[in-house]
Amino acid sequence: MSKVVNGVEIDDTFAEAFGMSGTGIIITADSMKWARIAATVATGFGTSVIGAGAECGIDRELSPDETPDGRPGVRILMFGFSPDALVPQIRNRIGQCVLTSPGSACYAGLKAPQSIGLGKAPRFFGDGFQTAKRLGQSRYWRVPVMDGEFVIEEETGVTTDAVGGGNMLILGNDRAGLLETAEEAVEAIAKVDDVITPFPGGIVRSGSKVGAKYAGMFASTNHAFCPTLRGTVKSELGPDTLAVLEIVIDGLTSKAVADAMRAGLKSITDTGAKRGVTRITAGNYGGKLGQHHYHLKDLI
Amino acid sequence: MSGLTLRLKAPATERINLDGIVPSKLAGLSAHEIARLNVGIDKGGLALGDAFEISGSPSETLTIEGSGATLDFVGGGLDSGTLRVVGNVGSYAGRKMSRGKLEIRGNAGDYLASGTTGGIIHVSGNAGNNAGGIVPGDRFGMLGGVAIVSGNIGARAGEKMRRGTMIVKGKTGEGAGTRMIGGTIWAEGGIGPRPGLMMRRGTLIGPSVESLLPTFVDCGKHDLVIVRVMSRYFKSTLGDLAPKPMPLFVQKIGGDMAAIGRGEILLPA
Repeated sequence: MSKVVNGVEIDDTFAEAFGMSGTGIIITADSMKWARIAATVATGFGTSVIGAGAECGIDRELSPDETPDGRPGVRILMFGFSPDALVPQIRNRIGQCVLTSPGSACYAGLKAPQSIGLGKAPRFFGDGFQTAKRLGQSRYWRVPVMDGEFVIEEETGVTTDAVGGGNMLILGNDRAGLLETAEEAVEAIAKVDDVITPFPGGIVRSGSKVGAKYAGMFASTNHAFCPTLRGTVKSELGPDTLAVLEIVIDGLTSKAVADAMRAGLKSITDTGAKRGVTRITAGNYGGKLGQHHYHLKDLI
Repeated sequence: MSGLTLRLKAPATERINLDGIVPSKLAGLSAHEIARLNVGIDKGGLALGDAFEISGSPSETLTIEGSGATLDFVGGGLDSGTLRVVGNVGSYAGRKMSRGKLEIRGNAGDYLASGTTGGIIHVSGNAGNNAGGIVPGDRFGMLGGVAIVSGNIGARAGEKMRRGTMIVKGKTGEGAGTRMIGGTIWAEGGIGPRPGLMMRRGTLIGPSVESLLPTFVDCGKHDLVIVRVMSRYFKSTLGDLAPKPMPLFVQKIGGDMAAIGRGEILLPA
């Protein structure tokens, strides 16, 4: 039985999410501008674990008091199928995007019983001129580079209790208003710690279904939610729906994902109706594939 | 003061070996067993109860009072809790300590923190030669942990030191960091003459150095992120005992070029 909140219909359904491995990394620089640049580049092309190898995003910005070197920083999160699958992602993204960024340094951004290499591979860029400094339980590598030294902690924590694929689909009759509402929801979700929305601007316009008519395609367009196909296929959309946008959420814990969905739903129902939002639903596979189910009615 | 207290009965006429007299080892012993522990160095031995008045009951804190420079290996093998010493101690204090805290309210002799792998040592007075340095027969000197000396330290501090940090509020003696392999010696009062002979890696930090070996070279003035990391780490773990942060720019002197030259002496720029 669906429910209407502030003029927006909430489907009686659930988002089906999957267990993942997640890690956190702190990137600092001489200014927030450069920390942000390094973090943005390092998390680029980190939308879907299937196509990009990892789902990545910026969790939050850190004040100098919150970082190991007293400079402005950004905490990024990366999610993958397993800790082993994250290793090459960290190696490549940090090696190509953070090591190369002026003034940057890189530290563990998650404390967890299990850890994976952070600076273990990038340190070899030092070609034997790198040195290490151990402080407490942490080892920091100092790699000589052209603007001084790139400092990177040897390891960061990794959790296998992370969750990927928390989601909500926002339906409406005004594409511009829908996008504005989704943007605000992403901003509300960003205030929740330990979560990211890995797609561009946190919003997906190309929701997918599993499989396709073409061999070798793992996923293809979710035709039941494509407004231009309404009438020609078995559509999930009502006659007034002109567009659908999806917000996908990954979190280090199931609670973080639930909190983020709650924040997103509240934001949408608070202001969505006047911008043409008519309905909110969620993506699932019948509940048989994902270990985590987030029922929309429980989060309002 | 809670916990077990050992009070020296009379000024010792022989060396007393307190290796292994630490809270975790005493915790499972009865008063009688504690009193019978051998702390002598000659064939006849010396019972702990003959040398010390023992009061209180074993806990996470052990206090040694009325001590003197004849007490060797104080805190040797300390692996948990706090060992507090009121008075001076002899050589090898904190030897092979792995965890916990050793507080010495007095001076320490030679070879302070030799083979130490972890924990915190604080000496409120001075320390002798070879603090954090190698003991003949060992492969390395200090291997971890933090030792803070509020006074000065003697010659060849940190010889063959591999990891860990020695913080000195005063000055180091001659040859600090000789044959150093890693770790940090931070001397707030200044670094003594000719540091880092045959040093491979590691860091010496201070406001000045008395004289340099000719095999050390000027690497220029730099804003090193690792110095900021170290300053913040020590402030968060040591509080008031932490060294004052270095200025943003430091002069890096690299060496010993007669070895592999990955060591460094950092001075304010």
